[in-house]
Amino acid sequence: MNNITIVVAEASYLIQKGLEAVLKNLGDNQVVQKMDKAEGLFESLSTLKPNILILNPDLFEGNTELIKKCCAKLKACKLVIISNKKGDEGKYDEDALLHYNDGQSKILACLEGVKDELDRKQKVERSDEPISAREKNILKHIALGLTNKEIADKLFISIHTVVTHRKNITQKLGIKSVSGLTVYAILNNLIAMDEVK
Amino acid sequence: MRITKDMKMADVIQMNYMLIPVIYRFGINLGFGDKTVKEICEETDVDLNFFLQLVNTYHDKDYFPKEELQSIPSKDIVAYLKMTHSSYLNEKLSEIEDLIESLQHAEAEDEKYILLIRNFFEGYKNELTEHILHEEEVVFPYVLAVEDICAKGYISDQNRKIYDSFSISKYQDAHDDVEEKLMDLKTIMIKYLTPPLNTSLYHKIIQLLFMLEQDLNYHSRIEDKVLVPKMISMEKTITEMI
Repeated sequence: MNNITIVVAEASYLIQKGLEAVLKNLGDNQVVQKMDKAEGLFESLSTLKPNILILNPDLFEGNTELIKKCCAKLKACKLVIISNKKGDEGKYDEDALLHYNDGQSKILACLEGVKDELDRKQKVERSDEPISAREKNILKHIALGLTNKEIADKLFISIHTVVTHRKNITQKLGIKSVSGLTVYAILNNLIAMDEVK
Repeated sequence: MRITKDMKMADVIQMNYMLIPVIYRFGINLGFGDKTVKEICEETDVDLNFFLQLVNTYHDKDYFPKEELQSIPSKDIVAYLKMTHSSYLNEKLSEIEDLIESLQHAEAEDEKYILLIRNFFEGYKNELTEHILHEEEVVFPYVLAVEDICAKGYISDQNRKIYDSFSISKYQDAHDDVEEKLMDLKTIMIKYLTPPLNTSLYHKIIQLLFMLEQDLNYHSRIEDKVLVPKMISMEKTITEMI
């Protein structure tokens, strides 16, 4: 849920609100920041690291070069331009363009397209498959209450590897806390109930 | 939709039933007939401005009270937050706990798994209780001391001690961890546990967990959007004063 993070940079309150409503229809996303002026925009982007930036070039008075330059720096962030002018298409090296006059279905299709592209990219890193045998083994040790260091020593792997495994386990199962993982481990017979203190 | 003083209180509740416990914490009970928000507040001696800010912050997550912020005494906010805390500790948590317990009695076969859930919930409850106690014993006295300093314009020895021992930025850091466990519990019940035979009870527990989570979110919104900004600006005043 809310996998995709979006920053909306648009001066008009009406459009901002409208976009937000449209994005709600799209699902699976979250508007993490709304900006109505240019100052501080790109600074905040480097900390927020959104998946999508929806930008109205009017914020920068249509300064194409500036926008292009700043957006090129953002890795893995899709750029969607909102515009009411003709011929803006492709001007900003954007991934998609929304025009003021676009209808609902066109806007949704356009954003779906951007989202699909993101999904495809993320699939490689993050999958919904069940946890692997290796991960099960790590999970077992977590559930038994071992620290990362203890697990690393026991399995002859680096702490860094343990941390990575932990991250993947949490992401796959959707459970963050150690006690939650313990319950999962018991439910799936990775450990017995009386092994837990 | 913004809640205003001239709306009928009954309409407010029709709009968002999650506000029922909220207004109850103000000492307002149901059965308002056609009275407006303003009339009810006058009757029950509730500060209208505070009430409106609070219900709107609850009701609309984008609502952000700005100008009105300074006018509300922190002690009112603290008093309200304390009421919410006690309703969590005395009602909500034990209500869920009781249901889990009766689920445990009803099931012979799955008892083992219910015990897991029960222990997990106990763990969560302890954590939340601890968090609440920390707020009541450390954060709130600090808030009151800061307000006292601002009102009087000088720092008494007692206030100095409290003021030096804490800062609102410390509080902001420690705010997210408690929610994690509650989310995990829901995930486990929804995704991984084979539901017990008494499904209606089981569903009820899950629904209550959702409602608790929502209520807690509302609650922390008040703390984050009303209390914390107020404290930050007061801390600034005091720093300038010293």
